[in-house]
Amino acid sequence: MLRIELYKIFSRPRTYISFAVITAITFIIQLAMYVDGSSFVEFAIQGVGDQFDIQGRVLNGYLITYLILQSLLVQVPLLIALVAGDVLAGEANMGTLRLLLTKPISRTKVVWVKFVSSLVYALALLLWLAIIGLGASVLIFGTGDLINLKSDAFIMLLEDDVLWRYGAALAFAALAMATVAALSVFMSAFADNSVGPIIGTMGVIVVLTIFTNLELPLFNLVKPYLFTTHMVAWKGFFDVPVPYEAIAQSAIVLTIYIIGFVVATMVVFNKKDILS
Amino acid sequence: MRSMFRYYVLVILLLMQSISYAQQQDVDSAQYLFNELKAKLDRVEDYTADVRVNIDVSFMKVPPLAGKLYFKAPDKMKLERKGGISILPKKNMSLALNTVFPEGDITIIDAGNDVLDGTPVKVIKIVPHNDVAGIVLTKVWVDKERLLALRTETTTRDNGTVKMDLDFGKYANLALPDKVTVYVDVKEFKIPKGVTMDYDAGTAGKMEAPKDDGKRKKGKISINYLQYNVNAGLADSVFDENE
Repeated sequence: MLRIELYKIFSRPRTYISFAVITAITFIIQLAMYVDGSSFVEFAIQGVGDQFDIQGRVLNGYLITYLILQSLLVQVPLLIALVAGDVLAGEANMGTLRLLLTKPISRTKVVWVKFVSSLVYALALLLWLAIIGLGASVLIFGTGDLINLKSDAFIMLLEDDVLWRYGAALAFAALAMATVAALSVFMSAFADNSVGPIIGTMGVIVVLTIFTNLELPLFNLVKPYLFTTHMVAWKGFFDVPVPYEAIAQSAIVLTIYIIGFVVATMVVFNKKDILS
Repeated sequence: MRSMFRYYVLVILLLMQSISYAQQQDVDSAQYLFNELKAKLDRVEDYTADVRVNIDVSFMKVPPLAGKLYFKAPDKMKLERKGGISILPKKNMSLALNTVFPEGDITIIDAGNDVLDGTPVKVIKIVPHNDVAGIVLTKVWVDKERLLALRTETTTRDNGTVKMDLDFGKYANLALPDKVTVYVDVKEFKIPKGVTMDYDAGTAGKMEAPKDDGKRKKGKISINYLQYNVNAGLADSVFDENE
């Protein structure tokens, strides 16, 4: 059944829109950096550059990859919603859901397979991002030491200390994308057409991201409980020292969200009166 | 006649002593020490040194940087790290002694004696008549015996006060230090969180973000010189920035 679901996902043209969007954004960032990257670097490090002379290849493939990940890991959840929000609602919309449930498969298994197939799609998207983000950037710009700017810190990582961090960051990003996939599938269980779950997922992510990024005392109270706060924990792997404890805590929170969304979807879907 | 002879001998002896005292005074004078020190430093026209740089600044997390430091008189300096990124204090002004001394018309003031780690030193103040180079005042603690600057304190117009401690070893005869520790004033570093989109480990976990009082802070940069290659003749092109 998983194979069929994967076939359904990867045979739709819509699926490849996401890959095209990621390719286009990555290419635009790489082109912009290739043409005028030095001005960007000068602007970015001016706070430190006023006091220190920074020489060498600051603009390298590792820095470009970081910028691409920073930009895209905000957009990728929306692209995941495009497919994952459709898995149940799309079937309902096309009138194939009732047919599917006539087979000797439990509704719980249907939800589980739909979630896993969405997850595979999300991971494929992430893998593609790694290939064209990291691979192409390193090919074009070469490798080098990585400068990472936080709001209150200037972090420099030596070239031979960077690659494992990308591996770990992408692994964590997979967990974050799994959360988005689980949310989309959950939303999908309520609707009979895919527009609602897709826009609903996007809306939830956008609103919670605003909550996460606004520095207001009221929001600070709820921030630790929002999954969007923990989705950016991949950045922790580029800190010194790596805040493993906080990253592990973020991983636990995201896992709880994933389990919660999947179980909730199963409950809702099992109780749902399928009319289409 | 004999008493007359004694009188002459006494006068000659007194005269010789006063000349010797005057000469000693001259050797101890701030101007003399400064000239001698400057002459000693000027003997080094260029050098290449294997170095290890440690940066200890509150907002900077930079691992120890091993590389090659190139210097060419009067003020060219570059740290090369085989394609890696190098970080040095702005304008390198605080790493080479030659650049700490203001150029042009200066006034040398004797600021008395002091003791640094058990070594008696003469403190010299160097005041430039104009601050074109941005240096307002330089204080130098000079080891009179070895003619070495053990500490400098440079007050600049824009970059606060830069203090530098120097340790000498096998290259002391060329006034080249084995270790230089630079203490600099650093400004607060802040970028809006909305731009960096930080992962706040303090919010997500238990770790607290570092507190910042918004004032200037002290930073420390240590450079260990492992090996020098002096006066080998360095081309200006070595210092060209191509990145």
